[in-house]
Amino acid sequence: MNNNAAKAGSGATQAGRPARLSLADWMPKIVMAPTAVAAIVCIYGYMIWTAVLSFTNSRMLPSYNFVGFDQYERLFMNDRWLVALSNLGVFGGLFILICLFLGVMLAIFLDQKIRAEGAIRTIYLYPMAISFIVTGTAWKWLLNPTNGIEKMMIELGFEDFRFNWLSDPDMVVYCLVIAAVWQASGFVMALFLAGLRGVDSEMIKAAQLDGAGIITTYRRIILPSLKPVFFSALVILSHIAIKSFDLVAALTNGGPGYSSDLPANFMYAHAFTRSQIGLGAASAMVMLGCVLAILVPYLYSELRGERHE
Amino acid sequence: MASLTIDNVKKRYGQTEILKGINISIEAGEFLILVGPSGCGKSTLMNSIAGLEDVSEGRILIGDNDVTYASPKDRDIAMVFQSYALYPNMTVAENISFGLEMRKVPKEERDAEVQRVADMLQIGHLLKRKPAQLSGGQRQRVAMGRALARRPKMYLFDEPLSNLDAKLRVEMRTEIKKLHQKLGTTIVYVTHDQIEAMTLADRIAVMKDGEVQQLGTPQEIYDNPTNLFVAGFMGSPAMNFVPAKVVEQNGTYALELQASKPTVVPFPKPDSLKAYAGKEILLGLRPEMITEPQPHKEGAEFVVTADIDVEVTEPMGADTMVLTRISEAEVNCRCNPAYPVKANETVAMMFDTSKAVAFDKDSGQRIDN
Amino acid sequence: MSNVAKRQTSTLDKALRIALYIALLAMAAVYLAPFLVMLLTSLKDVEEIRSGTLLSLPGSLNFDAWSKAWSGACTGSQCEGMAPYFFNSFQIVIPAVAISTLLGALNGYVISHWKFKGSDVFFAALLVGCFIPFQVILLPMARTLGWLGIANTTTGLVMVHVIYGVAFTTLFFRNFYQSIPAELVKAARLDGAGFFTIFYRIILPVSTPIIVVTVIWQFTQIWNDFLFGVAFSGFDTQPVTVALNNLVNTSFGGKEYNVDMAAAIIAALPTLVVYILAGKYFVRGLTAGAVKG
Repeated sequence: MNNNAAKAGSGATQAGRPARLSLADWMPKIVMAPTAVAAIVCIYGYMIWTAVLSFTNSRMLPSYNFVGFDQYERLFMNDRWLVALSNLGVFGGLFILICLFLGVMLAIFLDQKIRAEGAIRTIYLYPMAISFIVTGTAWKWLLNPTNGIEKMMIELGFEDFRFNWLSDPDMVVYCLVIAAVWQASGFVMALFLAGLRGVDSEMIKAAQLDGAGIITTYRRIILPSLKPVFFSALVILSHIAIKSFDLVAALTNGGPGYSSDLPANFMYAHAFTRSQIGLGAASAMVMLGCVLAILVPYLYSELRGERHE
Repeated sequence: MASLTIDNVKKRYGQTEILKGINISIEAGEFLILVGPSGCGKSTLMNSIAGLEDVSEGRILIGDNDVTYASPKDRDIAMVFQSYALYPNMTVAENISFGLEMRKVPKEERDAEVQRVADMLQIGHLLKRKPAQLSGGQRQRVAMGRALARRPKMYLFDEPLSNLDAKLRVEMRTEIKKLHQKLGTTIVYVTHDQIEAMTLADRIAVMKDGEVQQLGTPQEIYDNPTNLFVAGFMGSPAMNFVPAKVVEQNGTYALELQASKPTVVPFPKPDSLKAYAGKEILLGLRPEMITEPQPHKEGAEFVVTADIDVEVTEPMGADTMVLTRISEAEVNCRCNPAYPVKANETVAMMFDTSKAVAFDKDSGQRIDN
Repeated sequence: MSNVAKRQTSTLDKALRIALYIALLAMAAVYLAPFLVMLLTSLKDVEEIRSGTLLSLPGSLNFDAWSKAWSGACTGSQCEGMAPYFFNSFQIVIPAVAISTLLGALNGYVISHWKFKGSDVFFAALLVGCFIPFQVILLPMARTLGWLGIANTTTGLVMVHVIYGVAFTTLFFRNFYQSIPAELVKAARLDGAGFFTIFYRIILPVSTPIIVVTVIWQFTQIWNDFLFGVAFSGFDTQPVTVALNNLVNTSFGGKEYNVDMAAAIIAALPTLVVYILAGKYFVRGLTAGAVKG
């Protein structure tokens, strides 16, 4: 807007007045400059840098011997990476589905004029305030194959109860799902509850008059109108899943063996502790690709929606 | 189509009484308007008729059925909401047919009904669109279409025009009136706009503080308001209330006003003023009853010409409103624009009190009924 | 007739409502259980842990595990407990939150009320910063910190948190300032106020709610961060999450679950306290970041 003033000034030179370019006109740009520089360098610059590294044979230190797509080839030949990717598929898929299901159900339940709704909501949501490291530590103890839930159930009389997923390479990924769902499902609940509260109450009355029962009203009218919330929740949850790093570090440390690794852990291990910078960079780029594949359609539809209004 | 009887309906939230014993009954096919300022209980009453809120006491009958405790869907009522309340995820056609679907009407019949309604409201070209792609007026039509599709016993309209701009509102008003004339359905319509009430209604219930102040035809309400509130609420500009002293003159009672000079005007029912002889009452006189002197009315029974001091003039095209002060009260007069009136001048005006009414100053109730 | 019908539905209603409450309370128990187990375990001694179960009560209130977790437990090679790292975290969090919030407020102010050519593009570009997986910037950032001579320092960590937090804070403030009418700023400009005067006198006084939301959001994010902490901190500048992970994964001698749990609670305590005191704002931050982002 201030720019308009400057433009008007420069357009008015025939009146003998030079373009007005005082410090005040530059202030907004000056204020934004640090952030802009940081964003350009540290987001986009670094992305490109990592992309460049992914095409080199860098090991302990970055080198700039370009080797084409060798690192990507190595990556997709690497069994550990493939395990990490398939873990991400299983973990992400289950995590998202269960969180959405629980979140929607709890939000609908809580939306029935419940007494002490505030307190219950607070309880559902508190795990979201905690670090994934703490969550991992707690669940590591709860899921402990000998002393955890298994022992409690045996003491309760279920002599044959076995629960050793944490030490079972085939099942350990489900431990990640349990802990992550515990942490994030309350958040999904909060999102949907906010959405439900925003639904036009006259619309619900209209459905009632049209003869729709409570289940039909939710299934046909209310939930479909929350499509944007579903979409947001989906994007956020997949984003959490793809970035998941700390939960694995604390709960399983990738083990047993590397059976519970996720891509983020693979990247960190290769780039920082196993001196495979090139390979680590390539894995980071694949992760970025995954995020963009989810994000771009989302942002596109959001922006299109905004323009529509 | 059915009649509606509201029998001593009360509604309480804890200690506060929102509806204080409402009694209204209308015939099948009548257009009833509930009008009143916000918070008067008109929307609560509407929701109670729809079954969206329970009543604390009293009965509601649709036709001969007591529906006081029936669920909304069993009342066979359709409603048009202020926000239109269209289902955003459904197309216009789906919106219209949803209520039929819920009543398990077969697909072919639903499609035929959608087509019929669409033709009636001229929204055929919109059927495949979503509500977000419609303009305000189009949404309004779809909301009405949704109500029409089920051919219910009664229609409820909850301030359906208040979200439209002025021009569209007038258009839709006419359209609703035409629709009612064509279908002959029973309609209950809530509004706070008294012009809507006057133009649409067969009968108007003017509400205030959870009570019906007056129930009557628009003309009854306009000409014969039962109290100051109704008189002041209906009509625009509002009825003038002029403090006037009851004087005895030639063996009958008349009213003395303080215009430019003290003026005595006759009153159609002088005997009703007897108890107030020598006291002040409020004279209610519509603006159109104070005009420029009209030769053909000269010498008529309840016509008096007197000078007033003009404060402000407001030309409105068809008329010019002249603002003056009579007995300390602000008074609107409606003049022919050709009559030369200027601010701060004194001009002659003709007072026609044949339709004047009188109110008790303290209670606000009509004296001359 | 309809009276009877009404009464029948309300008995059904009542049964449904009871079922609803049971379901809600059962889920509440599920969410609470892990924390309860942590708390109970932290109050037991090693022998009680071995003999009891997760939910068995400790024989007596025993705070030994807490004092060991606070000041004696080994996190890697050092055995000073969580205390130094707890304070490290504060040293990182406080400046990082302050700087990123201030920058976010100024950026949001510019983007919503002093638009210039490219400011919207800049905002969109910044939004992407909220979403990139940080793995993609770890390696270059490590090199950069090395060049700047602030690798493994608190300053370096603060800088990293500010850079990648400012996208979120800008988003929050922008969305909030968007709802302040442009006429307000125009009127102030006609009154002769300049860029900073308007910010300081007009905008900032109405910003309290969004400042609270932003501060809480940033505090929680940075306090709970592990990735940047483990990648960019030195032995003596580790934040509490990194220390906790080291403590739990340190395998000298037998596992002391009571100490682990006490340490975990210590690490979680600041954000939990904030959540309990200002949960409303926390939720608002989450949903604002979510729905708008």
